[in-house]
Amino acid sequence: MSGFFPRRSTLLATAIVAAGLGAIGFASISLGAVIVGETRRIDLGQKAAPGMDAMKTQYKRPATIPFPKENPYTPEKAALGKQLYFDTRLSVSMAQSCASCHSPGFGWGDGLAVGVGHGMAKLGRHSPTIVNAAWGEIFMWDGRLATLEEQALGPIQAPGEMNMPLEQLMSRLTSIAEYKPLFAAAFPGEGMSAKTLAKAIATYERTVVSERAPFDAWIEGNEKAISEEAKRGFAVFNGKGLCSACHEGWNFTNDGFQDIGLPSKDIGRGEFVPGVIKMQHAFKTPGLREIERRSPYMHDGSLATLEAVVEHYDHGGVDRPSRSDLMKPLGLTAQEKSDLVTFMKTLTSNLSPTAVPVLPR
Amino acid sequence: MHKTILFALVILSGLSAGALAANQVIHQQGRVFSSESVTIKKGGALTFVNDDSIPHNVMSATKGSEFNLGSQAPGMSTDVTFKETGDVQVICAIHPRMKMMVKVTD
Repeated sequence: MSGFFPRRSTLLATAIVAAGLGAIGFASISLGAVIVGETRRIDLGQKAAPGMDAMKTQYKRPATIPFPKENPYTPEKAALGKQLYFDTRLSVSMAQSCASCHSPGFGWGDGLAVGVGHGMAKLGRHSPTIVNAAWGEIFMWDGRLATLEEQALGPIQAPGEMNMPLEQLMSRLTSIAEYKPLFAAAFPGEGMSAKTLAKAIATYERTVVSERAPFDAWIEGNEKAISEEAKRGFAVFNGKGLCSACHEGWNFTNDGFQDIGLPSKDIGRGEFVPGVIKMQHAFKTPGLREIERRSPYMHDGSLATLEAVVEHYDHGGVDRPSRSDLMKPLGLTAQEKSDLVTFMKTLTSNLSPTAVPVLPR
Repeated sequence: MHKTILFALVILSGLSAGALAANQVIHQQGRVFSSESVTIKKGGALTFVNDDSIPHNVMSATKGSEFNLGSQAPGMSTDVTFKETGDVQVICAIHPRMKMMVKVTD
């Protein structure tokens, strides 16, 4: 019994040791006001893989376009935004418009490996599509801009792109007589400013939505809308291929950032989140709508075909600390690879032609 | 001394179990934090559980309360203790739609 109740000195020693062990246990990563404890494994239980019908429910098209309450849709704003989007006078050279790099003819990209900016100089990254930008959570390959309104002003001002200081731009647009009433109609009481210009362009961009594709008809119940190969590809996409871990939902992206092991030196998101290993070489996951029309692929335009893209994922890319834990050799068969490509081509819609607007003079 | 360490471990495990029982658990299933905003007392902890099917990277860039759990695999759980009062914005570095506010009060 005497051994069970410790003496006072034992208690004191116990407290000291406990405090010491506690410090070791909890001080694994301590930065300022927050202490991170050790990570432990827990039992999540077994989850059954979802069946085809359950998977399909994740891909239903939305019924309406979301517009932010700070910049609600009006037809006047969208019409003005379209004129600005196609107006080459937004660049200092008067030779480039938003549509130069984000053209409806190329699935709202430019069909080039990397964009071409001011003075025909090549840019560092592939021009992303603007299709379905209304659903975007964060913008640019590296996520450096938070809203589509901010995004609209980015390339206009960037010295390597349209190279147009906003003050100079507004002065130029003010001298084009027909713009003034259009701004007045779209922004009563606000008039012409960089802010209203950005709101108009963003509103127009939000109206650029991928139209119904064979895949949508299949999701809605028409079993004949896509081939058996494509259906098998959809199963690989959601299963063995792990594609839907990032390319999820009707627009096939969760807007997340992943290093997918491309050998490019560009650190992407890492520039803005320097202390986070997984953000080095990470780029925003693009949606896959109209993907067949958007070659070449990846943030650096380094892969020419969808077949090459599937090969890259099957291989797993460059193994480095930043590489996503989801990237690993997949062991896909030739049939599975071919089925995946067939599936991705069912995301191509019959895009109706986009009429280029008559521009104000 | 062995007895002392044993006692220390018993006390510690008791404290940890107590802390664990009191912690609010933040789930991440379906690429979303289970709470948009939580309020905890200064010195209290949250348990971040990755019960999703893919890795997450919980972190905060709030000045003075920066932390980074790194890549947290599915099936892993990490406690985070908040020592100072104030609002701490917690995000997943990978998934920008995942964000929550931790309000640390006196």
